[in-house]
Amino acid sequence: MRYPKVFYVFSANRSRIYQRKRRLKNPMATSKGSFTVEDMKNVQINIGAVIKEEEEWDQPMGPYPKPNVATLRDWDFKICNRYKIMYSPADDTCTLCTYGPCDLTGDKKGACGINMAAACGKIVLVAVLMGTCAHTAHGRHLYHWCLDKFGDMKFDMGSEILVNAPLTRTILGTKPKTLKDFGEALEYCEEQIVQLLAATHTGQEGYYMDFESKSLHGGMIDSLGKEICDMLQIVAYDMPRGAADAPLVEIGMGTLDQNKAVLIAYGHNLAAGAEAMIYTENNNLWEKVDIGGVCCTAIDLTRITEAGGQSKVPANLGPKAKVAGAMGWWRKMVRAGIMDAVIVDEQCVFCDVLEDCQQRHIPVIASNDKIMLGLPDRTNDSADAIVEDLVSFKMPGVAILDPVKAGEVAIRTAVAVKPKRAQFKKESVFDEQQFKDTLAKCTQCNQCAFVCPPHIRISEMIAEAIKGNLEPFSTTYEICVGCQRCEQTCPQDIPILKLYEYANREYVKNQKFKMRAGRGPVLDTEIRRVGAPLVLGQIPGVIALVGCSNYPNGTKECYDIAKEFVDRGYIVVATGCMAMDMSLYKDADGKTIWEQYGGAFDGRNICNIGSCVANAHIHGAAIKVATIFAHRNERANYDDIADYIMSKVGACGVAWGAYSQKAASIATGVNRLGIPVVVQPSSIIYRRTFMGRTDKPEDWMVIDARDGKMQQIEPAPEAMLYIAETKEEAMLEMAKLCFRPSDNTQGRSIKLTHYCDISMKYFGKLPDDWHLFVRDVKDLPLTFQQQMMKELEEKHGWKIDWKAKKFISGPLRPADVSFDPTNLPRKIRAKK
Amino acid sequence: MAAEAKPKGVDTTKNPIPFEMAQIPGPEMAKTYMPKVIGAIIKKSKRPLLVVGAELFDDPVMFDKMIEIGKMGVPIAATAHSVKGFVERGYLNNVYQIGLHPLTNNLRFSDWMGLDGQGQYDTVIFMGIFYKFANGMLSTLKNFNRDIRRISIDRYYHVNANMTFGNMAFTPDDYHAAIDELIAAMKK
Ligand code: SF4
Ligand code: SF4
Ligand code: SF4
Repeated sequence: MRYPKVFYVFSANRSRIYQRKRRLKNPMATSKGSFTVEDMKNVQINIGAVIKEEEEWDQPMGPYPKPNVATLRDWDFKICNRYKIMYSPADDTCTLCTYGPCDLTGDKKGACGINMAAACGKIVLVAVLMGTCAHTAHGRHLYHWCLDKFGDMKFDMGSEILVNAPLTRTILGTKPKTLKDFGEALEYCEEQIVQLLAATHTGQEGYYMDFESKSLHGGMIDSLGKEICDMLQIVAYDMPRGAADAPLVEIGMGTLDQNKAVLIAYGHNLAAGAEAMIYTENNNLWEKVDIGGVCCTAIDLTRITEAGGQSKVPANLGPKAKVAGAMGWWRKMVRAGIMDAVIVDEQCVFCDVLEDCQQRHIPVIASNDKIMLGLPDRTNDSADAIVEDLVSFKMPGVAILDPVKAGEVAIRTAVAVKPKRAQFKKESVFDEQQFKDTLAKCTQCNQCAFVCPPHIRISEMIAEAIKGNLEPFSTTYEICVGCQRCEQTCPQDIPILKLYEYANREYVKNQKFKMRAGRGPVLDTEIRRVGAPLVLGQIPGVIALVGCSNYPNGTKECYDIAKEFVDRGYIVVATGCMAMDMSLYKDADGKTIWEQYGGAFDGRNICNIGSCVANAHIHGAAIKVATIFAHRNERANYDDIADYIMSKVGACGVAWGAYSQKAASIATGVNRLGIPVVVQPSSIIYRRTFMGRTDKPEDWMVIDARDGKMQQIEPAPEAMLYIAETKEEAMLEMAKLCFRPSDNTQGRSIKLTHYCDISMKYFGKLPDDWHLFVRDVKDLPLTFQQQMMKELEEKHGWKIDWKAKKFISGPLRPADVSFDPTNLPRKIRAKK
Repeated sequence: MAAEAKPKGVDTTKNPIPFEMAQIPGPEMAKTYMPKVIGAIIKKSKRPLLVVGAELFDDPVMFDKMIEIGKMGVPIAATAHSVKGFVERGYLNNVYQIGLHPLTNNLRFSDWMGLDGQGQYDTVIFMGIFYKFANGMLSTLKNFNRDIRRISIDRYYHVNANMTFGNMAFTPDDYHAAIDELIAAMKK
């Protein structure tokens, strides 16, 4: 459907209906030129630009440019009707307004009339919006910063990426040409966020399913916010644009040279950390300074100027910075005292960063107005004066909201303060006697164990350490999430993390590994290569490991999960803290996972896509399968693309350490695009999941787009958001969530082989539900074929022609390679 | 407390504090019971389901005790990869492999026909599941299907159950004895 041009040209956003009305009222609006509509002040219409855009893009505008809160509600309800919204309230009460506290347990309602389901939906929406705001505001900051620093720049992803901002194209229906063009996308995000947040006020939305539709909308906006962030920084800082061979960079606390001054840049927004690097480079200070990143800032600093293109930043800067570690390592790092100064920017920064640093005489520079920590704003003071105050410990930290000045002050402070804090550094950690004396204070009361999230038996570790055995302290070091709840609870005031530090000092020193730097988007050529095998199932799926560091059983689990799937031939992609943490292990040959496998978007490869905002390229890759491989128009056509992905692209995300609200918005955005996600058991605190009912055939009906007939399908994918109790369960479920109705028999057989094989390996038996996914004898894994056919006959009552090796009856539907499943009536091709 | 009022056997009613202390959901919180009371309630239920998780691997003797309950006709939902423990012991008669999440998703709908197709359960008995996760799933049932009785026989005080033991996480001998008493009560 081709929309009249004027329909999508308002630079200020208005609802579609309103826009349509305006057009009808103003036939003048179709003439060329720029003017203001009489009764709509501040609405600029620039027809010339739009006509030009139309000409440059061979796709007509799709049905949903800049969808508003309710525009894609039908699609959301399709998701929610199949994948039932399941709530696990973390709290039975509500105290959001002064009528409260209201008890909502069971069938009770609050004074405002809300029930438990809707109250949960409201909290979920608020959490999703927190995440969406964090990413969008990050984008807004980068937008101003990059335009200020670099001026407007051509938006160019290189010759191998022509579908270059897939989410912007799919959601807005526009193609940004320069960095400035992302301003329109930001404005759109910001308007949607305001509208969504308004719906959470008491007396606004009251129905749980509508809350979830709004959350899905928020999740989609989040994905766009991330794309804006990463596209801006890729161009401005000349980061890799889909480089499978992005360089290997150093990762680990042990990589930070303790003979140099060490600056840690902690957070997600590279601006100030990058300025610290530029200052170091321009002043030839690398001999004196090591810069290490924590959390996503780490990944992004190591991507700077690696593309080798034109840049206003010194070349090859990225690999000069190091990745100190993922966010989960922060408290361990600061207790080890491995840094001399810290610069924080935004997101995932522990709120007591200043307290932790102050105790150890580590100056802190807050560089972004989202985190100012109560520090004085010294943005307008001279760098000399600020450095002097920090180095003399007159102030524990300062806020400097100018990234250039923040970067300079951080480096100069780190260098000057290093010798001055040497003594404090020594005093802040235990010597052997202090360690022993502290152990002796433990009364084995076990109060600490009642608060420890991974249930570490601290008292038992201490008892062993008293006997001289430090091994339990070592083996649980990665499992401890550094929350310091134990320390707060201990009646003896035992600083348990300091005990950990003492026991793991050698490990910290030797924590030296390699990580492939974030490669950025997936190339169009890579999509062309994997499109067919992925949709037919011969590449069994794309496994995306994304998100934070709150693993149920330590960092090793993300390495194990990645390794399992890359070994099996899946396309494995990773971002953020999971990409960092999986780097901390080596195989028997001493190789990290990045050295064991190639970095292409291909089977048996593993890509580090980048930081959390680079997650958008994973959405982007899925969209590109629909556009490049299947020739679907992505332009303003979100539900069509999501429908294609849900039915045909075998992909599954796993957020095995998800802790943040951003993880909630990320997963929700991925879900709206039709990609299922598996999360770790603590994710129950997010309260809401999407679960299909495999016992309800009516929930698994789709349209065959060839003729419009309804067809029952196997429950594939069976869930949209699944909580697994253990990594073994997660892996089994991920293999299952890669099934798609479009798999051909060879593809289904490959997928079933992995599903059954993982079950045999970790569960000791075949799964109970494998038969649901069998349509044809050829679907059966060869290794289990005989056994399975027998079981189908005996246990499930299928009729089998053993001679011809065929099913006479039993399967839900026959395997049909040209079957074209869709959930959207407008995709029906045959005209009746 | 006077000597004659002391309960016989292991006192499982002590320490009713959520194992993760901050898990205080609201006005409705679980009561603690003695093993024989819980045993009798399980025995009386028409459609009980024993739901066990991967923490059984940390205390493998619990597999044998769960099998004993299974042999009394209570079907077992083995969540996470705990089914491996049953495979290793050669007991799979009435053991079903299913994740706790999809299981709870089914349990919350009154029209679910159960793992054996015979109908929805009236009692679920949780054991050996990561605390926070079990707590959340019990919360789903507490709020969205109140027809199912929620029993925990884990070593933790489970705040969102109807019936639970107090915390026994650090007294494994007492805990094992309590489970034995519960099994004995079921056999009566
Ligand atoms: S928002 Fe509604 S449920 Fe919450 S406290 Fe107010 S009246 Fe009660
Ligand atoms: S800091 Fe570590 S040991 Fe202490 S409660 Fe948190 S996770 Fe447990
Ligand atoms: S709370 Fe303190 S004293 Fe008690 S067991 Fe834990 S470390 Fe020991």
